[in-house]
Amino acid sequence: MAEAGEDLLAALRGLLGPAGLLTGRAALSVYARDASHLAWGRPLAVALPSREADVARIVALCAAAGVPVVARGAGTGLSGGAVPPPGALVLGTARLTDLGPVDADAGAVRAQPGVLNAALTRHAAPFGLHFAPDPSSQAASTIGGNIAENAGGPHCLRLGVTSHHLRALDWCDAHGRDWTTGEPVAVARGIDLRGLLCGSEGTLGVVTAAWLQLTPEPGAVETLLAEFPSLEEATSSVATLLRAGLLPVAVEIIDRPMALTVEEAFGFGLPTDVEAVMIVELAGAADAVTTQAAATAGVLRRAGARAVRKAGDAEERLALWQCRKRAFGAVGRLSPNYVSMDVVVPLGQLSGLVREIQQVRERFDVKIATAFHAGDGNLHPAVHYDERREGDAERAHAAADAIIRAALRRGGSVTGEHGVGLEKLHALPWQLDAATAGLLRAVKDTFDPRGLLNPGKALPSAPVREGAEGYAPLPAAPTGPVFTWDSLTVCAPASTPLAGIQEQALAHGLWLPLGLPGQAAGWGLDAGLTAGRAVDRLLTGPSWLARATARDLLLEVWATTGDGRPFHAGAPVFKNVAGYDLVRLLCGADGRLARLQALTMQLRPAPAAAWGWRLERMAEAPDSASPAAAVAVGALLKALTSGGDGLAGHQAIMERGQEDGWLSVVLLAAGPDSGTSAVELRQRLEAPARAAGLRFVVAERRPFARATELAPALGVPAWALSADSWTALQPRPGRGAGALPPVPRRLIWQDAPRVVWTPESSAPLSPSSGPRGAAAWLADRIVADGVEQPLPQPDGGVPCHLLRSLKRCFDPDLVLGGPVWLTEDADG
Amino acid sequence: MAEHPAWSWSDHERARLDVLLRHCIQCGLCLPACATWVATGDETMSPRGRLLLVGELLADPTASISEPSVRTALDTCIGCQACSAVCPSGVPFALLETAVEAARASTPPPDVPRPVPLPVLLRLEDRTWLRALAWSSARGRDLLRLAFGPHWRRRVQGRRLWGICARLAGSVPRAPRSDRELVACLDGLAKGPSTPVGRLERPARPRESVVWFAGCANEGLLPDSSRRLRELLVWAGAGLVEPAGNTCCGALAAHAGQPRRAAALQNANLAAWGTGGDAAAIVTEASGCGVAVRGYGDRLPLPQIDAMVWLAGAERPAFGRVPLKVALHDPCHARHAQGIVREPRALLRAIPGLILLEPDEPDVCCGSGGLWSLSHGDLSATLGARKARLLAATGADLVVTANAGCLGQIADGLAVLPGEAPPVLPLGDLLWYAALRAVRS
Ligand SMILES: Cc1cc2nc3c(=O)[nH]c(=O)nc-3n(C[C@H](O)[C@H](O)[C@H](O)COP(=O)(O)OP(=O)(O)OC[C@H]3O[C@@H](n4cnc5c(N)ncnc54)[C@H](O)[C@@H]3O)c2cc1C
Ligand code: SF4
Ligand code: SF4
Repeated sequence: MAEAGEDLLAALRGLLGPAGLLTGRAALSVYARDASHLAWGRPLAVALPSREADVARIVALCAAAGVPVVARGAGTGLSGGAVPPPGALVLGTARLTDLGPVDADAGAVRAQPGVLNAALTRHAAPFGLHFAPDPSSQAASTIGGNIAENAGGPHCLRLGVTSHHLRALDWCDAHGRDWTTGEPVAVARGIDLRGLLCGSEGTLGVVTAAWLQLTPEPGAVETLLAEFPSLEEATSSVATLLRAGLLPVAVEIIDRPMALTVEEAFGFGLPTDVEAVMIVELAGAADAVTTQAAATAGVLRRAGARAVRKAGDAEERLALWQCRKRAFGAVGRLSPNYVSMDVVVPLGQLSGLVREIQQVRERFDVKIATAFHAGDGNLHPAVHYDERREGDAERAHAAADAIIRAALRRGGSVTGEHGVGLEKLHALPWQLDAATAGLLRAVKDTFDPRGLLNPGKALPSAPVREGAEGYAPLPAAPTGPVFTWDSLTVCAPASTPLAGIQEQALAHGLWLPLGLPGQAAGWGLDAGLTAGRAVDRLLTGPSWLARATARDLLLEVWATTGDGRPFHAGAPVFKNVAGYDLVRLLCGADGRLARLQALTMQLRPAPAAAWGWRLERMAEAPDSASPAAAVAVGALLKALTSGGDGLAGHQAIMERGQEDGWLSVVLLAAGPDSGTSAVELRQRLEAPARAAGLRFVVAERRPFARATELAPALGVPAWALSADSWTALQPRPGRGAGALPPVPRRLIWQDAPRVVWTPESSAPLSPSSGPRGAAAWLADRIVADGVEQPLPQPDGGVPCHLLRSLKRCFDPDLVLGGPVWLTEDADG
Repeated sequence: MAEHPAWSWSDHERARLDVLLRHCIQCGLCLPACATWVATGDETMSPRGRLLLVGELLADPTASISEPSVRTALDTCIGCQACSAVCPSGVPFALLETAVEAARASTPPPDVPRPVPLPVLLRLEDRTWLRALAWSSARGRDLLRLAFGPHWRRRVQGRRLWGICARLAGSVPRAPRSDRELVACLDGLAKGPSTPVGRLERPARPRESVVWFAGCANEGLLPDSSRRLRELLVWAGAGLVEPAGNTCCGALAAHAGQPRRAAALQNANLAAWGTGGDAAAIVTEASGCGVAVRGYGDRLPLPQIDAMVWLAGAERPAFGRVPLKVALHDPCHARHAQGIVREPRALLRAIPGLILLEPDEPDVCCGSGGLWSLSHGDLSATLGARKARLLAATGADLVVTANAGCLGQIADGLAVLPGEAPPVLPLGDLLWYAALRAVRS
């Protein structure tokens, strides 16, 4: 072994040069630790490659020598993910810091794994874009680490966690082979490797580069600071706020012990005589933000806030956030050691958990300071102790475990964003049932049969067998739809029609942003669409004002494997990184991995209003250049989205005359209601409309719940509402409508997710139609002439053999079928 | 095993270090502020890494310090204090400094080059000698240009001896000597009609009397910029008092491991200032001296204040118009050690027509670090080039900084950038020019 180690070091030195391999005692000590305070053993050496391609070579050399590899970003992980087992090679990405050019049109950028989160946002800033996940560690933590932990942050309430902003990954497997997860498209159908790798803590593969989605900067931002004499009232006000239709970008709370710590450290001027301080940030179009801020302040006051004040200017807001983001670090001033926790519960359970934490504090006689990502139901209690005082550490850990158990009893999860790592391994079996744990282990074995990638992390270490002691029982699946209004979730059997769920939700001011019901057959939310199918297929037909797919909303599933093993993955919480993300893996897999039994989805506040415009170009200028028409539509939609005001769900319904240059466009959008919003939207549309020679014919507005009334008012053509067969095309990113080579005469352009629907035959749009043909711009054809297309075989760089093995983990006898490439081995 | 007397800390010292060390929660938020980590990506060269190593030293001094990698990690610390400025947990920099000093005092390992002998270091407080250095480095640059052509900086890279000569010649700070030269340079950048050269107006009566404390390096290497700064202070209403006996602040001696000499210089200064007379403050020119003087603590008869901070707070006449895009570089001794961030910006924003640009990585050291740059040549050059690249990337017409060391380092970095690069000038010179334009316009 020692000799094998020497050989490996020599080979690595040959590859990386002396400066790329650290073997000195200093490095072995320093790289044995991360921010978690956990220690395991000394690594064999530390490799710091400067070339992306060397990552795979390093992993291959280690695989040949049988030496484990632990990827490491900046070592800010709090669960010990980057702490190496003795004798492992640490593969540091700190020198892989290249950032590609920002593709402003697609809102995407390619980043190497060592790029710092904050550096990425600075890179995108000149384009009016930013990377939405903003962990408090963003100044130091890396993109690779963010992906591996599926990091969240204060602003993930409205914008989602890292996996929502990941388009594609380049990665290397346990054998040192380079792969990609495929084309960065909006509706990535198929078995979601991207979602599986994200949050896998470096145990399934090493990320070598990522295509990330960037988010437009909001037009206006307002930050409120509310003082609550009662912590419980503060926590319960969060759901009230969301249910009032207000969707702030962030809702954070710090309790009094935390506020005292922060004040001592930074002297920002936070009130320390109240039990809770809440920070609420609203973003969007200027006037809408002002109205919402006033409404928010009202809700908070009624919910028990003693005072609500606005952060004055950008500088004060920045200071406030810095103060919040550094709160955690400030704990070090008060206590030499602490257990940092990361439990998450359904929103409606937040106050109950806070009460239980108070009891734990008294029962165990420990000090606890807590910072909450309250809007997500995610909280970080820090249980103080001093390792040098007899029994202190044990007491703190017992208290922490009591809090975890309390969170689990309330339907929560042991970790919302910090990951399992080494730290939460013991608690994972309290949350997972044995069947699910077995599936997780099978997934790991598929990717890394010899257990060389970050071994000993993320997965329960206990043997996994049917009915194994210590695992949680399988929770009961719902038998009918269950709405939990104060948690903003709906749990339902997979066979429940979505339209029914949507109607009930809308009556409560909430909705699933998958589209509006009430359209003709063939539309997304028609009577035939069940919750389960929306998850399996992601898209079935054009949907009125849809702005998401089920992948963005699914929190929890009950399912059975092909061979009939029931399992349960996820939890009814907004953030959850306990175990691999099986929930995402099942999204869009067309039911080829498991049969869905029931599921929980997240409800969102419904927009207040919907707007529609009808624009026309008359035949005076005969224009047969069909691409020009598509360019015009693209420019109009871009103008709608450009405001950074949180408006989404844009749609354009376009129809043009045969040869006579006539063109009509119906534009639809939804968002917060306010007089100037409408004016502003209209203003934004003026220039592109003029450029395309289009003039406004009708403009209409409706309360959102009655948005479908816009159809007759705007003269939406009959084909757009009742075509009997659709073709759904997904352009490659960065390709606007202008890139469609033979543009269909009639199309519905859906902006989020970006898909083009046309009632015309898909034949001229076949991928084989020449170099300038569809293949150049078409990423996926989801539906062709009314026939839902089978899962497309992924492009070359995607490891199809792994997809086939994954299929066999879930469906060993292949009873759930699937396309040939998925079910039959390529070489026999 | 060799003796390492520096590591025999007293129990008292050990206890102090231990308490400080326990403040570090290992969060790693200090990494991106640390120039040596930024340049190497090596966590042993990061604040958190160094603190972990100090912890090991406390536990097992001899075993650890006999390790070259441990000693190198500590020795490479620039002492820029960026880490303690960003640390949420308030880990005091004093801890690192103590450990780093101890590492330096121990027998240097063979792989840590020390090209600057101690006697040379101490000459750096001698202003006559410094003027000679400025003169000879200018001649040195002429010679290098003669030998290697106009791209001499790039051509000597990688050559050991020539490389050291080039760094010595290249990074010695310089700025336009005569007012005429400076004004011509800035007029050229601003692409306007030429500004008549003259003296700044003096107010009839100074508004506040202050003790003027010039920096050795400024007076020695940039005597004219130093003079212009004094003129500017007077223009802004300062009555400058220069007590006889003002001498070097002692930072250099302390740095070179000569605490007794440092104490003597301190005493001499304190004696010169006496009770302070009717002066309101001691205004320091160089940020390094500012930190050292502040370090006199309770013995100071008057508060210490940086020249830029004084200027920013003064009721001064308005600046004239300077239509330039200017990128500002903060010296570590100002930004981190004295928390001076707002004031220079407020001054620049007070200049009509001037657009202030902020470079990326504003808290990362430029790699000058005083003498550190001479003992860690390669790393220093890497950092200088990085800083220069980021400053140039702002698209500025001009870079300014208030510190002589940074000035030389950034000039050196800008010189090796491919393509056009903006010039770099002392912040005081730009302000002086803005004041001059007010008088004449
Ligand atoms: C003060 C503080 C505040 C924090 N706040 C938040 C917060 O608000 N939200 C949040 O989510 N987290 C937070 N964290 C936790 C931590 O910062 C995140 O988990 C972060 O994503 C880790 O990034 P890193 O680069 O430091 O990764 P590391 O700690 O180096 O590694 C973390 C894990 O990622 C794996 N990994 C790293 N790079 C790769 C790669 N290229 N390929 C595959 N696997 C890889 C490692 O093996 C390890 O398992 C905080 C931490 C601190 C110290
Ligand atoms: S920022 Fe402070 S507490 Fe965090 S690792 Fe650095 S020195 Fe330690
Ligand atoms: S003083 Fe500067 S170089 Fe030294 S550890 Fe701190 S940031 Fe790094």
